[in-house]
Amino acid sequence: MESAIRILLVDDELDFVETTAKRLSRRGHACKTALTCAEGLPVLESGWPQVVVLDVMLPDRDGLEFLKEIKEKWPSLPVILLTGHASVQAGLHSLQCGAADYCLKPIDLETLVEKIAIAHRENLARQA
Amino acid sequence: MTAFLAKIAEFFGSRPGKTAAPPRAFRDYYRNFRTLLTANNNALELMAELEEAAVSGRPFGVAFIRGHCTALIVNVYKMVSNLRELSAGKYQNLQPAFLAVTRKIEELLAKQPAVPQGEYILPLSRVDRHAADLVGEKMANLGEIRNRVGLPVPEGFVITAAATHRFMAGSALRDEINRRLKTLDADNLEELYQASAAIQQKISSAPLPEEIACRIREHYQTLNGALVAMRSSAIGEDRDNVTFAGQYRTQLNVSEEFLEQTYKEIVASKYKSQAIVYRLQRGFRHQDVVMCVGCLAMVDAVVSGVSYSRSPSDPRSNWLEINAAAGLANTVVDGTAATDHYRVSRQDPHPILDATIARQKGTEATGQRGSLSAAQCADLARIALRLESHFGSPQDIEWSIDRAGRIVILQSRPLARETALSGPEAPGQPGEGELCAGGVTASRGAAAGQVRIVRSSLDLLRFPQGAVLVVAHPLPEWATLLPRAAAVLSETGQIAAHLATVAREFGIPAIFGLEGITRNLADGQEITVDATACRIHAGKNEELLRQAATDRPNLMLGSPVAKLLRQLMELITPLNLTNPASPYFQASACRTLHDLTRFCHEKAVVEMFSFGEKHGRKDKAAKQLVGETPYTWWVINLDDGFRETFSAKERFIPIDQIVSLPMLAIWEGMNAMPWAGPPPVSLRGFGSILFHSTMNPSIDPAVRSSMNARNYFLISKNFCNLSVRLGYHFALVEANLGEYLLENYVSFQFKGGAADETRRLLRVELITGILREFGFRVEQRMDAMSARIEKRPVPYLSARLKILGYLLIHTRQIDMVMGEEEMAARYREKIMGDLQTLLQKSEKEGDGGERHQDTAC
Repeated sequence: MESAIRILLVDDELDFVETTAKRLSRRGHACKTALTCAEGLPVLESGWPQVVVLDVMLPDRDGLEFLKEIKEKWPSLPVILLTGHASVQAGLHSLQCGAADYCLKPIDLETLVEKIAIAHRENLARQA
Repeated sequence: MTAFLAKIAEFFGSRPGKTAAPPRAFRDYYRNFRTLLTANNNALELMAELEEAAVSGRPFGVAFIRGHCTALIVNVYKMVSNLRELSAGKYQNLQPAFLAVTRKIEELLAKQPAVPQGEYILPLSRVDRHAADLVGEKMANLGEIRNRVGLPVPEGFVITAAATHRFMAGSALRDEINRRLKTLDADNLEELYQASAAIQQKISSAPLPEEIACRIREHYQTLNGALVAMRSSAIGEDRDNVTFAGQYRTQLNVSEEFLEQTYKEIVASKYKSQAIVYRLQRGFRHQDVVMCVGCLAMVDAVVSGVSYSRSPSDPRSNWLEINAAAGLANTVVDGTAATDHYRVSRQDPHPILDATIARQKGTEATGQRGSLSAAQCADLARIALRLESHFGSPQDIEWSIDRAGRIVILQSRPLARETALSGPEAPGQPGEGELCAGGVTASRGAAAGQVRIVRSSLDLLRFPQGAVLVVAHPLPEWATLLPRAAAVLSETGQIAAHLATVAREFGIPAIFGLEGITRNLADGQEITVDATACRIHAGKNEELLRQAATDRPNLMLGSPVAKLLRQLMELITPLNLTNPASPYFQASACRTLHDLTRFCHEKAVVEMFSFGEKHGRKDKAAKQLVGETPYTWWVINLDDGFRETFSAKERFIPIDQIVSLPMLAIWEGMNAMPWAGPPPVSLRGFGSILFHSTMNPSIDPAVRSSMNARNYFLISKNFCNLSVRLGYHFALVEANLGEYLLENYVSFQFKGGAADETRRLLRVELITGILREFGFRVEQRMDAMSARIEKRPVPYLSARLKILGYLLIHTRQIDMVMGEEEMAARYREKIMGDLQTLLQKSEKEGDGGERHQDTAC
């Protein structure tokens, strides 16, 4: 299978973040988590993540605003939006802002893993 | 929303087209292409899931619809924007078409029921059927009975939907509740109970706007300080065959100081767990139900009961049925009281035909048997017939008889249609293999499962899927468990209990009135419940289950949610762009999301196909395949479909230089089996058919003009798009076989001409049948079909490609010999035999995991 990907999960749903991180690690990926944008920012600034999975509704900031900031500072970093509140507008908006994907919870872990891997692969291909 | 869509439009317009951008590497195009295909894969799967939901009758909520529509639009958007990249912005009309469809879908999803307009309170004297949108069905009917039929009902007033709307909107309750419900997983009982309790608590403790509170007090004064019964009367309730039985709160004996609090609690009872579950099962959105509350002076009842103006089991019966018990009516409908059952003739003077008395209460002197006298039964019968004739359908009537002997109507509603029941039977002693016999059929049918006795809400949380629910009383709150219960058994209760009504609606067998059943059965014990015959068998009685097998009713049918889905589907699935050669195959003609996917896919393939030609790239031009095959095949390499050692300058390529997994699988299927049918049509004859078709591209319009009359493989290592035109047939196979299931699929389109219609249909039906057998989702329209499987592992899909390869070669020949159904059946057998051999062969050759995958289909 694919080699390890360094993933940053930003989501305020503690249960979800913890189990997802655990299961991603079990598959050989490296995972860091943040419950708020403020927590996520230093991880991003360290240049560590290769893929970001970002919730749309976060306590400190609007996830879409955060997405814009990420894409501004790190244009090539793939960001996958993940939300429990399906919205056509948010979906289209995030793709326009450069999100790699817009997915809905509940998401099956297998699917999320593949989406992350595909986003990562596309990004590598673009750089090549 | 308009502003938002304008922003998207701007986005589409503002990006520079390809002409202004620097030349891009072919790989970039290929990446766009691949992303487009994956989005197509997702979109088609989502559409199939929506279609499935629309016909299956399985319950789904708005969250499901909204989620699927959102995901669909996101994926179609990806297709549109990738085609834009791929084609250098060629299809200008695509974006407006996409925006138009998206806007319509958004509007449907955002549509809210109209805000109720009117007074906060209406006295019953001013209510009739036409007020249903303001006071709910229940109170509207009661007002109608008082004011139009002229029968006694309790005095009182209704707190209207306008008041509830004001209350909920005013305290921002609604937004918070919606947020909570949107993400609720109703299958998780614990989560459901928590959410239900939290929401009810929020509503009950929210302040009631003073303008409502003072009006309630004002109207209460007209009742001269009487105690009142406060009853829910929901809008959306009691519609055709949707009962909402017993879900909401009714509070009896409310005094003045508790009016406000009780009102809030009844409004909150809309979010009782059983009500949330019921709405989901029946396809109601939460906003489709608005709670109104009736405040009715208490009736000092001596006897109360429920009448059915016809027998629920036989709508043509010439008798009516009355259930009665001493005291208030609630003991009858919540199933706690033992009731007397009367069967009364519909003919004047309405004699009692049959009576089953729970406890002898009357005296010899009056000749009364049970709680009702013969005269009272006759009066009730007259009332029932009057109400039936006024409302125009058999009625289910709740009533009380007060101390003055006056019959007061508390409620009348249409008798639920699916209440197919027989009256109480006398099953006698349990026979062999039977654990128990007795009780009454509350809902017909038979089912098997493990016993689960539920006494408390804690038991309720642990109730497993498919168990038999065993309870002491058929309390309305147990209805939360009905969607997961196989059957219901209760010690008390009868057919008029709310739980029985809901069980009948859901098609779940139930026997009530089984004394001692919670003690006689043990948790985990497997039983078969034969509710029709009122018998319980030990173990799983297959014979009985087979006999009783009926389809579960489609509970979603005609519901607001089903209606919403149907409206949305009009914008999603119909395919108007079927023929790429037609002048109407244009971006501006895309009316649905399916059209958009079809258009984008088609044009993307054409772009990839013509890249070599357009850009004068020899390495991307078609190579002719050399090998032992009677037909000419051309191959275009999109990325890494050829061996690295193969020189791109060559004009011919041998099959062993090809590394495209899907192409090799198709090729193997094509060449695996020699044609062994009846004498083949002479080569000359066959040639002439070929000749005809190549000379006459108009015969079959479903063909790309630039690929006319040639057989092309567009390939990469994981991808293959094969367009075949052999004889009069046009076929298209496309597949991706890669590491990620999300990207994997096999799709097949087939259209055949050159034969009379019967033959063409036979052939397509033959192929359809075979492909279904191998797990394809097939859609057939006349003599054209499309089949698809997605998100499966490589060995599974590879086997399907071999099957398609085989079919491409062999059905083409069948066409020339097949004339009638009998022949078709014979060929089907032969083909299935060949395919089995083919799959076994490739298994032996080491396509690991194939056997396992095949048994799974």
